[in-house]
Amino acid sequence: MTEKSLKRVSYTVLTGPAILIYAFIIIFPIVFSLSLSFTEWSGLDTPKLVGLEQYVRILTDPVFLHGLRNILLVVAVSIFGQIPLGFVLAYIIYRRLIVGGRFFETMIFLPITISAVVVAILWNQIFSPAGIYTALMRMIRDDPRYVLGIFESKTFAMVPILFIILWMYTGMYMVIYIANLQRISPSVIEAAIIDGATEGQILGRVILPSMVNIIFTTAVFAISGSLKSFDLIYAMTGGGPAHYTEVIAIYMYVNTFKYYNYGFGSAVSVVIVILSLGLIGLIQIIFRRFERMYEA
Amino acid sequence: MSSEIRQKNVGWNLAAYIIMIIFTVLTVGPLVWLLYSSVKPHFDIIRNVFGLPKTFYVQNYVQAWNLAHLGILMLNSIFYSTVATAITTLLALAAGYGFAKFKYKISGFFYFFFIMGLLITVHSVLVPLFVMETRLRIDDTRLGVILPYVAFGLPFSIYLATSYIRGIPDSLEAAAVIDGASYLRIFKDIIIPICTPVVATMLIFSFLANWNELIFVLTLTSKATLRSLPVGVLAFAGGKTRNYGLQFAVLVIATLPMIMFYVFSHNQLARGFAAGALKE
Repeated sequence: MTEKSLKRVSYTVLTGPAILIYAFIIIFPIVFSLSLSFTEWSGLDTPKLVGLEQYVRILTDPVFLHGLRNILLVVAVSIFGQIPLGFVLAYIIYRRLIVGGRFFETMIFLPITISAVVVAILWNQIFSPAGIYTALMRMIRDDPRYVLGIFESKTFAMVPILFIILWMYTGMYMVIYIANLQRISPSVIEAAIIDGATEGQILGRVILPSMVNIIFTTAVFAISGSLKSFDLIYAMTGGGPAHYTEVIAIYMYVNTFKYYNYGFGSAVSVVIVILSLGLIGLIQIIFRRFERMYEA
Repeated sequence: MSSEIRQKNVGWNLAAYIIMIIFTVLTVGPLVWLLYSSVKPHFDIIRNVFGLPKTFYVQNYVQAWNLAHLGILMLNSIFYSTVATAITTLLALAAGYGFAKFKYKISGFFYFFFIMGLLITVHSVLVPLFVMETRLRIDDTRLGVILPYVAFGLPFSIYLATSYIRGIPDSLEAAAVIDGASYLRIFKDIIIPICTPVVATMLIFSFLANWNELIFVLTLTSKATLRSLPVGVLAFAGGKTRNYGLQFAVLVIATLPMIMFYVFSHNQLARGFAAGALKE
Protein backbone atom coordinates (compact mmCIF):
# COMPACT_ATOMS: atom_id res chain seq x y z
CA MET A 1 0.00 0.00 0.00
CA THR A 2 1.22 3.48 -0.77
CA GLU A 3 1.66 6.08 1.93
CA LYS A 4 -1.34 8.01 0.61
CA SER A 5 -3.82 5.16 0.62
CA LEU A 6 -2.51 4.01 4.00
CA LYS A 7 -3.37 7.41 5.37
CA ARG A 8 -6.82 7.26 3.81
CA VAL A 9 -7.51 3.82 5.28
CA SER A 10 -6.37 4.97 8.73
CA TYR A 11 -8.67 7.99 8.50
CA THR A 12 -11.60 5.74 7.63
CA VAL A 13 -10.85 3.38 10.49
CA LEU A 14 -10.58 6.26 12.94
CA THR A 15 -13.59 8.34 11.96
CA GLY A 16 -15.78 5.69 10.31
CA PRO A 17 -17.38 4.08 13.38
CA ALA A 18 -18.45 7.39 14.93
CA ILE A 19 -19.86 8.66 11.63
CA LEU A 20 -21.73 5.41 10.96
CA ILE A 21 -23.40 5.24 14.37
CA TYR A 22 -24.26 8.91 14.26
CA ALA A 23 -25.71 8.70 10.75
CA PHE A 24 -27.66 5.56 11.57
CA ILE A 25 -29.15 6.72 14.90
CA ILE A 26 -29.58 10.45 14.33
CA ILE A 27 -29.31 11.62 10.72
CA PHE A 28 -31.29 8.85 9.08
CA PRO A 29 -34.16 9.00 11.63
CA ILE A 30 -34.43 12.77 11.21
CA VAL A 31 -34.90 12.39 7.47
CA PHE A 32 -37.29 9.52 8.11
CA SER A 33 -39.18 11.65 10.61
CA LEU A 34 -39.54 14.46 8.13
CA SER A 35 -41.11 12.15 5.56
CA LEU A 36 -43.35 10.46 8.14
CA SER A 37 -44.71 13.85 9.15
CA PHE A 38 -46.59 14.08 5.86
CA THR A 39 -48.39 10.80 6.49
CA GLU A 40 -51.05 9.26 8.64
CA TRP A 41 -49.62 6.12 10.25
CA SER A 42 -50.47 3.96 13.22
CA GLY A 43 -47.25 1.96 13.03
CA LEU A 44 -48.91 -1.20 11.71
CA ASP A 45 -50.60 -0.40 8.39
CA THR A 46 -48.83 1.30 5.49
CA PRO A 47 -48.36 5.06 5.92
CA LYS A 48 -50.95 7.11 4.04
CA LEU A 49 -49.82 10.36 2.47
CA VAL A 50 -51.84 13.31 3.79
CA GLY A 51 -49.68 16.29 2.87
CA LEU A 52 -49.63 19.08 5.42
CA GLU A 53 -52.74 17.90 7.25
CA GLN A 54 -50.83 16.88 10.42
CA TYR A 55 -49.23 20.31 10.65
CA VAL A 56 -52.61 22.00 10.29
CA ARG A 57 -54.01 19.77 13.03
CA ILE A 58 -51.10 20.60 15.34
CA LEU A 59 -51.22 24.33 14.83
CA THR A 60 -54.96 24.49 15.44
CA ASP A 61 -54.92 22.28 18.55
CA PRO A 62 -55.40 24.36 21.72
CA VAL A 63 -53.46 21.75 23.71
CA PHE A 64 -50.46 22.26 21.44
CA LEU A 65 -50.75 26.03 21.65
CA HIS A 66 -50.83 25.88 25.44
CA GLY A 67 -47.80 23.58 25.34
CA LEU A 68 -46.07 26.06 23.08
CA ARG A 69 -46.83 28.85 25.52
CA ASN A 70 -45.47 26.74 28.37
CA ILE A 71 -42.25 25.93 26.56
CA LEU A 72 -41.75 29.60 25.72
CA LEU A 73 -42.10 30.30 29.44
CA VAL A 74 -39.34 27.75 30.09
CA VAL A 75 -37.16 29.44 27.46
CA ALA A 76 -37.85 32.82 29.04
CA VAL A 77 -36.97 31.61 32.53
CA SER A 78 -33.78 30.05 31.21
CA ILE A 79 -32.66 33.16 29.38
CA PHE A 80 -33.89 35.87 31.73
CA GLY A 81 -33.58 33.85 34.95
CA GLN A 82 -30.81 31.27 34.86
CA ILE A 83 -28.35 33.31 32.83
CA PRO A 84 -28.47 36.57 34.88
CA LEU A 85 -28.67 34.70 38.19
CA GLY A 86 -25.87 32.36 37.19
CA PHE A 87 -23.84 35.36 36.19
CA VAL A 88 -24.47 37.21 39.45
CA LEU A 89 -23.45 34.17 41.48
CA ALA A 90 -20.36 33.62 39.35
CA TYR A 91 -19.43 37.26 39.66
CA ILE A 92 -19.73 37.19 43.44
CA ILE A 93 -17.41 34.20 43.66
CA TYR A 94 -14.99 35.48 41.03
CA ARG A 95 -14.61 38.94 42.59
CA ARG A 96 -14.26 37.32 46.03
CA LEU A 97 -17.03 39.45 47.48
CA ILE A 98 -17.56 36.64 49.96
CA VAL A 99 -15.43 34.18 51.89
CA GLY A 100 -15.74 30.48 51.07
CA GLY A 101 -16.64 30.86 47.41
CA ARG A 102 -15.51 27.33 46.68
CA PHE A 103 -17.96 25.90 49.19
CA PHE A 104 -20.90 27.87 47.79
CA GLU A 105 -19.92 26.94 44.25
CA THR A 106 -19.92 23.23 45.09
CA MET A 107 -23.28 23.39 46.86
CA ILE A 108 -25.11 25.39 44.20
CA PHE A 109 -23.84 23.10 41.46
CA LEU A 110 -25.10 19.99 43.26
CA PRO A 111 -28.57 19.68 41.61
CA ILE A 112 -26.99 19.21 38.16
CA THR A 113 -25.79 15.77 39.18
CA ILE A 114 -29.25 14.61 40.27
CA SER A 115 -31.54 12.92 37.80
CA ALA A 116 -34.57 14.98 36.76
CA VAL A 117 -36.81 12.13 37.88
CA VAL A 118 -35.49 12.36 41.44
CA VAL A 119 -35.76 16.14 41.40
CA ALA A 120 -39.38 15.90 40.21
CA ILE A 121 -40.44 13.45 42.90
CA LEU A 122 -38.56 15.33 45.60
CA TRP A 123 -40.31 18.61 44.73
CA ASN A 124 -43.67 16.91 44.44
CA GLN A 125 -43.09 15.85 48.02
CA ILE A 126 -42.06 19.33 49.08
CA PHE A 127 -45.26 20.80 47.61
CA SER A 128 -47.48 17.96 48.88
CA PRO A 129 -49.69 18.46 51.98
CA ALA A 130 -46.98 16.62 53.96
CA GLY A 131 -44.10 18.58 52.48
CA ILE A 132 -41.86 21.34 53.83
CA TYR A 133 -43.28 24.02 51.53
CA THR A 134 -46.79 23.40 52.84
CA ALA A 135 -45.58 23.24 56.44
CA LEU A 136 -43.70 26.52 56.04
CA MET A 137 -46.67 28.26 54.46
CA ARG A 138 -48.95 26.98 57.20
CA MET A 139 -46.63 28.52 59.76
CA ILE A 140 -46.30 31.82 57.90
CA ARG A 141 -50.01 32.18 57.13
CA ASP A 142 -51.07 30.71 60.45
CA ASP A 143 -53.54 28.54 58.54
CA PRO A 144 -53.24 24.82 59.41
CA ARG A 145 -55.33 23.82 56.39
CA TYR A 146 -53.26 25.54 53.72
CA VAL A 147 -52.46 23.44 50.64
CA LEU A 148 -50.81 24.52 47.41
CA GLY A 149 -53.57 25.07 44.86
CA ILE A 150 -51.54 26.64 42.09
CA PHE A 151 -51.54 23.51 39.92
CA GLU A 152 -55.28 23.90 39.44
CA SER A 153 -54.80 27.25 37.75
CA LYS A 154 -54.34 27.05 33.99
CA THR A 155 -52.44 30.34 34.01
CA PHE A 156 -50.09 29.71 36.92
CA ALA A 157 -49.65 25.93 37.03
CA MET A 158 -46.21 26.31 35.41
CA VAL A 159 -44.84 28.58 38.14
CA PRO A 160 -43.56 25.86 40.50
CA ILE A 161 -42.03 24.01 37.54
CA LEU A 162 -40.29 27.15 36.35
CA PHE A 163 -38.90 27.65 39.82
CA ILE A 164 -37.54 24.10 39.89
CA ILE A 165 -35.93 24.59 36.48
CA LEU A 166 -34.20 27.63 37.92
CA TRP A 167 -33.19 25.57 40.95
CA MET A 168 -31.73 22.77 38.82
CA TYR A 169 -29.73 24.57 36.19
CA THR A 170 -28.56 27.94 37.53
CA GLY A 171 -25.49 26.24 39.00
CA MET A 172 -24.39 25.05 35.59
CA TYR A 173 -24.40 28.56 34.16
CA MET A 174 -22.60 29.80 37.24
CA VAL A 175 -19.77 27.31 36.75
CA ILE A 176 -19.43 28.11 33.05
CA TYR A 177 -19.23 31.82 33.83
CA ILE A 178 -16.71 31.36 36.64
CA ALA A 179 -14.38 29.47 34.31
CA ASN A 180 -14.65 32.19 31.70
CA LEU A 181 -14.33 35.08 34.14
CA GLN A 182 -11.08 33.54 35.32
CA ARG A 183 -9.70 33.97 31.81
CA ILE A 184 -9.97 37.76 32.03
CA SER A 185 -6.54 39.12 32.85
CA PRO A 186 -6.50 40.35 36.48
CA SER A 187 -4.22 43.26 35.56
CA VAL A 188 -7.02 44.85 33.52
CA ILE A 189 -9.27 44.90 36.57
CA GLU A 190 -6.49 46.13 38.86
CA ALA A 191 -5.82 48.99 36.49
CA ALA A 192 -9.49 49.92 36.57
CA ILE A 193 -9.50 49.89 40.37
CA ILE A 194 -6.41 52.12 40.50
CA ASP A 195 -8.19 54.51 38.14
CA GLY A 196 -10.94 54.70 40.77
CA ALA A 197 -13.56 52.58 39.05
CA THR A 198 -16.45 51.44 41.23
CA GLU A 199 -17.61 47.84 41.41
CA GLY A 200 -20.45 48.75 39.05
CA GLN A 201 -18.10 50.32 36.51
CA ILE A 202 -15.76 47.33 36.59
CA LEU A 203 -18.70 45.10 35.85
CA GLY A 204 -20.24 47.22 33.12
CA ARG A 205 -17.16 48.47 31.29
CA VAL A 206 -14.55 45.74 31.79
CA ILE A 207 -16.19 42.43 32.50
CA LEU A 208 -19.48 42.35 30.61
CA PRO A 209 -18.00 43.32 27.22
CA SER A 210 -15.58 40.39 27.36
CA MET A 211 -18.37 37.99 28.30
CA VAL A 212 -20.74 38.71 25.40
CA ASN A 213 -19.62 35.67 23.41
CA ILE A 214 -19.98 33.23 26.25
CA ILE A 215 -23.37 34.61 27.19
CA PHE A 216 -24.46 34.04 23.61
CA THR A 217 -23.23 30.44 23.72
CA THR A 218 -25.06 29.77 26.96
CA ALA A 219 -28.21 31.36 25.54
CA VAL A 220 -28.06 28.84 22.69
CA PHE A 221 -27.64 26.06 25.27
CA ALA A 222 -30.57 27.46 27.23
CA ILE A 223 -32.86 27.42 24.21
CA SER A 224 -32.01 23.95 22.98
CA GLY A 225 -32.05 22.66 26.56
CA SER A 226 -35.46 24.21 27.24
CA LEU A 227 -37.07 22.76 24.16
CA LYS A 228 -35.78 19.37 25.22
CA SER A 229 -37.30 19.68 28.69
CA PHE A 230 -39.32 16.57 29.15
CA ASP A 231 -37.98 14.43 31.99
CA LEU A 232 -38.72 16.85 34.81
CA ILE A 233 -42.27 17.79 33.81
CA TYR A 234 -43.15 14.28 32.68
CA ALA A 235 -42.07 12.87 36.05
CA MET A 236 -43.66 15.67 38.04
CA THR A 237 -47.08 16.20 36.51
CA GLY A 238 -47.13 14.18 33.29
CA GLY A 239 -48.33 17.41 31.67
CA GLY A 240 -51.45 17.49 33.82
CA PRO A 241 -53.77 18.43 35.31
CA ALA A 242 -55.83 18.77 32.13
CA HIS A 243 -52.73 19.58 30.02
CA TYR A 244 -52.03 22.70 32.11
CA THR A 245 -48.33 21.93 32.43
CA GLU A 246 -47.94 20.12 29.14
CA VAL A 247 -44.95 21.02 26.97
CA ILE A 248 -44.49 20.14 23.31
CA ALA A 249 -42.17 17.20 23.98
CA ILE A 250 -44.77 15.57 26.25
CA TYR A 251 -47.48 16.33 23.69
CA MET A 252 -45.41 14.50 21.10
CA TYR A 253 -44.67 11.59 23.40
CA VAL A 254 -48.28 11.04 24.41
CA ASN A 255 -49.66 11.28 20.88
CA THR A 256 -47.07 8.89 19.53
CA PHE A 257 -46.66 6.26 22.18
CA LYS A 258 -50.09 6.33 23.82
CA TYR A 259 -52.32 7.00 20.80
CA TYR A 260 -50.00 5.54 18.14
CA ASN A 261 -50.23 8.53 15.81
CA TYR A 262 -46.75 8.14 14.36
CA GLY A 263 -47.29 10.61 11.54
CA PHE A 264 -48.65 13.21 13.93
CA GLY A 265 -45.83 12.64 16.43
CA SER A 266 -43.24 13.03 13.69
CA ALA A 267 -44.82 16.30 12.60
CA VAL A 268 -44.61 17.56 16.20
CA SER A 269 -40.93 16.69 16.38
CA VAL A 270 -40.29 18.55 13.12
CA VAL A 271 -42.04 21.55 14.67
CA ILE A 272 -39.72 21.26 17.71
CA VAL A 273 -36.62 21.31 15.49
CA ILE A 274 -37.90 24.29 13.45
CA LEU A 275 -38.79 26.17 16.62
CA SER A 276 -35.40 25.53 18.15
CA LEU A 277 -33.53 26.65 15.02
CA GLY A 278 -35.78 29.71 14.74
CA LEU A 279 -35.17 30.82 18.32
CA ILE A 280 -31.43 30.26 18.01
CA GLY A 281 -31.44 32.35 14.82
CA LEU A 282 -33.28 35.11 16.66
CA ILE A 283 -30.79 35.06 19.53
CA GLN A 284 -27.96 35.26 17.02
CA ILE A 285 -29.42 38.41 15.46
CA ILE A 286 -29.84 40.03 18.88
CA PHE A 287 -26.28 39.27 19.91
CA ARG A 288 -24.85 40.58 16.64
CA ARG A 289 -26.49 43.88 17.57
CA PHE A 290 -24.90 43.76 21.02
CA GLU A 291 -21.49 43.06 19.57
CA ARG A 292 -21.76 46.00 17.22
CA MET A 293 -22.89 48.17 20.12
CA TYR A 294 -19.75 47.32 22.08
CA GLU A 295 -17.51 47.77 19.07
CA ALA A 296 -18.91 51.25 18.45
CA MET B 1 -13.03 59.54 49.54
CA SER B 2 -11.43 56.27 50.52
CA SER B 3 -13.87 55.67 53.37
CA GLU B 4 -16.71 56.26 50.92
CA ILE B 5 -15.37 53.50 48.66
CA ARG B 6 -14.99 51.18 51.60
CA GLN B 7 -18.55 51.83 52.64
CA LYS B 8 -19.78 51.07 49.16
CA ASN B 9 -17.83 47.82 49.17
CA VAL B 10 -19.38 46.80 52.47
CA GLY B 11 -22.78 47.24 50.85
CA TRP B 12 -21.75 45.06 47.90
CA ASN B 13 -20.36 42.41 50.22
CA LEU B 14 -23.49 42.33 52.33
CA ALA B 15 -25.68 41.96 49.25
CA ALA B 16 -23.37 39.25 47.96
CA TYR B 17 -23.61 37.27 51.20
CA ILE B 18 -27.40 37.54 51.27
CA ILE B 19 -27.77 36.34 47.69
CA MET B 20 -25.29 33.49 48.17
CA ILE B 21 -26.78 32.26 51.41
CA ILE B 22 -30.37 32.36 50.17
CA PHE B 23 -29.39 30.46 47.07
CA THR B 24 -27.36 27.86 48.93
CA VAL B 25 -30.08 27.25 51.52
CA LEU B 26 -32.66 26.86 48.74
CA THR B 27 -30.39 24.40 46.96
CA VAL B 28 -29.16 22.31 49.82
CA GLY B 29 -32.18 22.57 52.14
CA PRO B 30 -34.45 20.23 50.18
CA LEU B 31 -31.61 17.72 49.82
CA VAL B 32 -30.86 17.71 53.54
CA TRP B 33 -34.56 17.31 54.29
CA LEU B 34 -34.70 14.39 51.84
CA LEU B 35 -31.69 12.74 53.45
CA TYR B 36 -32.87 12.80 57.07
CA SER B 37 -36.51 12.11 56.22
CA SER B 38 -35.43 8.92 54.48
CA VAL B 39 -34.65 7.35 57.88
CA LYS B 40 -38.02 8.30 59.40
CA PRO B 41 -41.02 5.98 59.26
CA HIS B 42 -43.94 7.10 57.05
CA PHE B 43 -46.13 8.32 59.92
CA ASP B 44 -43.34 10.36 61.49
CA ILE B 45 -42.84 12.18 58.20
CA ILE B 46 -46.52 13.06 57.99
CA ARG B 47 -46.92 13.97 61.65
CA ASN B 48 -43.84 16.15 61.94
CA VAL B 49 -42.55 17.35 58.60
CA PHE B 50 -39.44 19.11 59.86
CA GLY B 51 -38.68 16.87 62.83
CA LEU B 52 -35.30 15.17 62.94
CA PRO B 53 -35.44 11.37 63.01
CA LYS B 54 -35.92 9.94 66.51
CA THR B 55 -34.55 6.60 65.50
CA PHE B 56 -32.55 5.45 62.55
CA TYR B 57 -35.29 3.64 60.63
CA VAL B 58 -33.24 1.49 58.23
CA GLN B 59 -36.27 -0.60 57.27
CA ASN B 60 -37.14 2.06 54.69
CA TYR B 61 -33.97 1.20 52.82
CA VAL B 62 -34.30 -2.55 53.17
CA GLN B 63 -37.91 -2.53 51.99
CA ALA B 64 -37.35 0.01 49.24
CA TRP B 65 -34.41 -1.95 47.89
CA ASN B 66 -36.51 -5.11 47.60
CA LEU B 67 -39.86 -3.65 46.55
CA ALA B 68 -38.45 -1.36 43.89
CA HIS B 69 -36.01 -4.04 42.62
CA LEU B 70 -33.25 -1.49 43.00
CA GLY B 71 -30.54 -4.15 42.68
CA ILE B 72 -31.35 -4.96 39.06
CA LEU B 73 -32.03 -1.30 38.21
CA MET B 74 -28.70 -0.28 39.66
CA LEU B 75 -26.84 -3.02 37.76
CA ASN B 76 -28.55 -2.02 34.50
CA SER B 77 -27.74 1.65 35.04
CA ILE B 78 -24.11 0.81 35.78
CA PHE B 79 -23.95 -1.41 32.70
CA TYR B 80 -25.53 1.10 30.28
CA SER B 81 -23.55 4.04 31.61
CA THR B 82 -20.19 2.28 31.68
CA VAL B 83 -20.41 0.59 28.29
CA ALA B 84 -21.91 3.59 26.49
CA THR B 85 -19.42 5.97 28.09
CA ALA B 86 -16.44 3.81 27.15
CA ILE B 87 -17.59 3.43 23.54
CA THR B 88 -18.50 7.11 23.15
CA THR B 89 -15.18 8.28 24.51
CA LEU B 90 -13.08 5.92 22.40
CA LEU B 91 -14.97 6.68 19.18
CA ALA B 92 -14.94 10.41 19.89
CA LEU B 93 -11.17 10.40 20.49
CA ALA B 94 -10.54 8.47 17.29
CA ALA B 95 -12.81 10.72 15.25
CA GLY B 96 -11.39 13.81 16.95
CA TYR B 97 -7.87 12.71 15.96
CA GLY B 98 -9.04 12.20 12.38
CA PHE B 99 -10.79 15.57 12.19
CA ALA B 100 -8.03 17.51 13.90
CA LYS B 101 -4.88 16.07 12.32
CA PHE B 102 -5.70 14.55 8.92
CA LYS B 103 -5.92 17.56 6.66
CA TYR B 104 -8.82 16.30 4.56
CA LYS B 105 -11.41 18.80 3.37
CA ILE B 106 -14.27 16.46 4.19
CA SER B 107 -13.35 16.62 7.91
CA GLY B 108 -14.87 20.09 8.16
CA PHE B 109 -18.14 18.78 6.76
CA PHE B 110 -18.29 15.81 9.15
CA TYR B 111 -17.31 17.94 12.11
CA PHE B 112 -20.07 20.43 11.33
CA PHE B 113 -22.50 17.52 11.12
CA PHE B 114 -21.60 16.43 14.63
CA ILE B 115 -21.73 19.96 16.02
CA MET B 116 -25.23 20.41 14.65
CA GLY B 117 -26.10 17.35 16.72
CA LEU B 118 -25.69 19.46 19.85
CA LEU B 119 -28.91 21.22 18.89
CA ILE B 120 -30.91 18.11 18.05
CA THR B 121 -33.44 17.03 20.62
CA VAL B 122 -33.88 13.40 21.48
CA HIS B 123 -37.56 13.73 20.72
CA SER B 124 -37.04 14.52 17.07
CA VAL B 125 -35.65 11.03 16.43
CA LEU B 126 -37.68 9.06 18.93
CA VAL B 127 -40.47 7.92 16.62
CA PRO B 128 -38.35 6.72 13.70
CA LEU B 129 -35.79 5.25 16.06
CA PHE B 130 -38.47 3.22 17.77
CA VAL B 131 -39.80 2.00 14.40
CA MET B 132 -36.27 1.19 13.21
CA GLU B 133 -35.36 -0.74 16.33
CA THR B 134 -38.58 -2.71 16.17
CA ARG B 135 -37.91 -3.65 12.53
CA LEU B 136 -34.34 -4.69 13.31
CA ARG B 137 -35.56 -6.50 16.43
CA ILE B 138 -33.13 -4.68 18.67
CA ASP B 139 -35.90 -2.96 20.64
CA ASP B 140 -36.07 -4.33 24.16
CA THR B 141 -32.37 -5.25 24.12
CA ARG B 142 -29.36 -3.71 25.82
CA LEU B 143 -27.82 -2.97 22.42
CA GLY B 144 -30.92 -0.98 21.52
CA VAL B 145 -30.36 1.28 24.52
CA ILE B 146 -26.60 1.64 24.19
CA LEU B 147 -26.60 2.66 20.51
CA PRO B 148 -28.66 5.85 21.02
CA TYR B 149 -26.69 6.64 24.19
CA VAL B 150 -23.49 6.54 22.14
CA ALA B 151 -24.95 8.47 19.21
CA PHE B 152 -26.26 11.28 21.39
CA GLY B 153 -23.07 11.40 23.43
CA LEU B 154 -20.85 11.75 20.36
CA PRO B 155 -21.43 15.40 19.38
CA PHE B 156 -20.26 16.88 22.66
CA SER B 157 -17.43 14.39 23.15
CA ILE B 158 -16.20 14.89 19.58
CA TYR B 159 -16.33 18.61 20.12
CA LEU B 160 -14.18 18.33 23.25
CA ALA B 161 -11.75 15.84 21.70
CA THR B 162 -11.31 17.69 18.41
CA SER B 163 -10.67 21.07 19.97
CA TYR B 164 -8.20 19.52 22.41
CA ILE B 165 -6.29 17.51 19.81
CA ARG B 166 -6.08 20.56 17.51
CA GLY B 167 -4.02 22.17 20.25
CA ILE B 168 -1.40 19.39 20.19
CA PRO B 169 1.63 20.53 18.14
CA ASP B 170 1.96 18.74 14.78
CA SER B 171 5.67 18.18 15.33
CA LEU B 172 4.97 15.50 17.93
CA GLU B 173 3.27 13.10 15.59
CA ALA B 174 5.26 14.17 12.53
CA ALA B 175 8.36 12.75 14.21
CA ALA B 176 6.56 9.48 14.82
CA VAL B 177 5.42 9.28 11.18
CA ILE B 178 9.03 9.67 10.03
CA ASP B 179 10.02 6.87 12.40
CA GLY B 180 7.56 4.71 10.46
CA ALA B 181 4.84 4.41 13.10
CA SER B 182 1.36 3.73 11.75
CA TYR B 183 -1.44 6.22 12.38
CA LEU B 184 -3.28 3.82 14.65
CA ARG B 185 -0.07 3.35 16.59
CA ILE B 186 0.31 7.13 16.95
CA PHE B 187 -3.27 7.34 18.11
CA LYS B 188 -2.72 4.69 20.75
CA ASP B 189 0.75 5.67 21.97
CA ILE B 190 0.87 9.44 21.51
CA ILE B 191 -2.58 10.99 21.15
CA ILE B 192 -4.44 9.10 23.87
CA PRO B 193 -1.80 9.65 26.58
CA ILE B 194 -1.60 13.38 25.81
CA CYS B 195 -5.39 13.61 25.94
CA THR B 196 -5.68 12.36 29.53
CA PRO B 197 -7.12 15.62 30.95
CA VAL B 198 -9.81 15.94 28.30
CA VAL B 199 -10.52 12.21 28.46
CA ALA B 200 -11.32 12.58 32.16
CA THR B 201 -13.79 15.34 31.36
CA MET B 202 -15.35 13.34 28.54
CA LEU B 203 -15.75 10.26 30.74
CA ILE B 204 -17.35 12.12 33.63
CA PHE B 205 -19.61 14.12 31.41
CA SER B 206 -20.84 11.25 29.36
CA PHE B 207 -21.30 9.00 32.39
CA LEU B 208 -23.42 11.59 34.16
CA ALA B 209 -25.64 12.12 31.11
CA ASN B 210 -26.12 8.37 30.62
CA TRP B 211 -26.77 7.72 34.28
CA ASN B 212 -29.61 10.23 34.42
CA GLU B 213 -31.11 9.45 31.01
CA LEU B 214 -34.82 8.62 31.04
CA ILE B 215 -36.61 8.66 27.74
CA PHE B 216 -34.69 6.10 25.68
CA VAL B 217 -35.06 3.38 28.27
CA LEU B 218 -38.68 4.40 28.79
CA THR B 219 -39.62 4.06 25.12
CA LEU B 220 -37.19 1.49 23.75
CA THR B 221 -37.55 -1.16 26.46
CA SER B 222 -40.54 -2.77 28.08
CA LYS B 223 -38.99 -5.68 30.00
CA ALA B 224 -38.62 -4.96 33.71
CA THR B 225 -35.18 -6.60 33.66
CA LEU B 226 -33.82 -4.02 31.20
CA ARG B 227 -34.99 -0.85 32.93
CA SER B 228 -32.59 1.68 34.39
CA LEU B 229 -32.61 3.54 37.68
CA PRO B 230 -34.49 6.70 36.57
CA VAL B 231 -37.24 4.66 34.89
CA GLY B 232 -37.56 2.33 37.86
CA VAL B 233 -37.52 5.18 40.36
CA LEU B 234 -40.23 6.97 38.40
CA ALA B 235 -42.41 3.87 38.33
CA PHE B 236 -41.94 3.12 42.03
CA ALA B 237 -41.66 6.43 43.87
CA GLY B 238 -43.77 8.27 41.30
CA GLY B 239 -46.73 5.93 41.54
CA LYS B 240 -46.52 2.48 43.06
CA THR B 241 -46.01 3.44 46.67
CA ARG B 242 -47.62 6.08 48.84
CA ASN B 243 -45.26 5.36 51.71
CA TYR B 244 -43.13 8.50 52.00
CA GLY B 245 -40.36 6.77 53.91
CA LEU B 246 -39.92 4.28 51.07
CA GLN B 247 -40.10 7.00 48.44
CA PHE B 248 -37.40 9.01 50.15
CA ALA B 249 -35.17 5.98 50.59
CA VAL B 250 -35.45 5.21 46.87
CA LEU B 251 -34.61 8.80 45.95
CA VAL B 252 -31.57 8.77 48.20
CA ILE B 253 -30.31 5.48 46.79
CA ALA B 254 -30.73 6.82 43.24
CA THR B 255 -28.97 10.09 44.06
CA LEU B 256 -26.16 9.18 46.40
CA PRO B 257 -23.82 7.48 43.90
CA MET B 258 -23.83 10.56 41.67
CA ILE B 259 -23.36 12.98 44.55
CA MET B 260 -20.38 11.01 45.79
CA PHE B 261 -19.05 10.80 42.26
CA TYR B 262 -19.52 14.55 42.00
CA VAL B 263 -17.71 15.34 45.21
CA PHE B 264 -14.72 13.32 44.01
CA SER B 265 -14.67 14.70 40.50
CA HIS B 266 -15.92 18.22 41.18
CA ASN B 267 -12.97 20.04 39.65
CA GLN B 268 -12.86 17.98 36.52
CA LEU B 269 -16.61 18.15 36.01
CA ALA B 270 -16.79 21.89 36.49
CA ARG B 271 -13.91 22.37 34.09
CA GLY B 272 -15.64 20.08 31.62
CA PHE B 273 -18.83 22.11 31.65
CA ALA B 274 -16.78 25.20 31.18
CA ALA B 275 -14.62 23.76 28.42
CA GLY B 276 -17.74 23.02 26.45
CA ALA B 277 -18.57 26.67 26.24
CA LEU B 278 -15.08 28.08 26.12
CA LYS B 279 -14.21 28.13 22.46
CA GLU B 280 -16.99 29.62 20.46
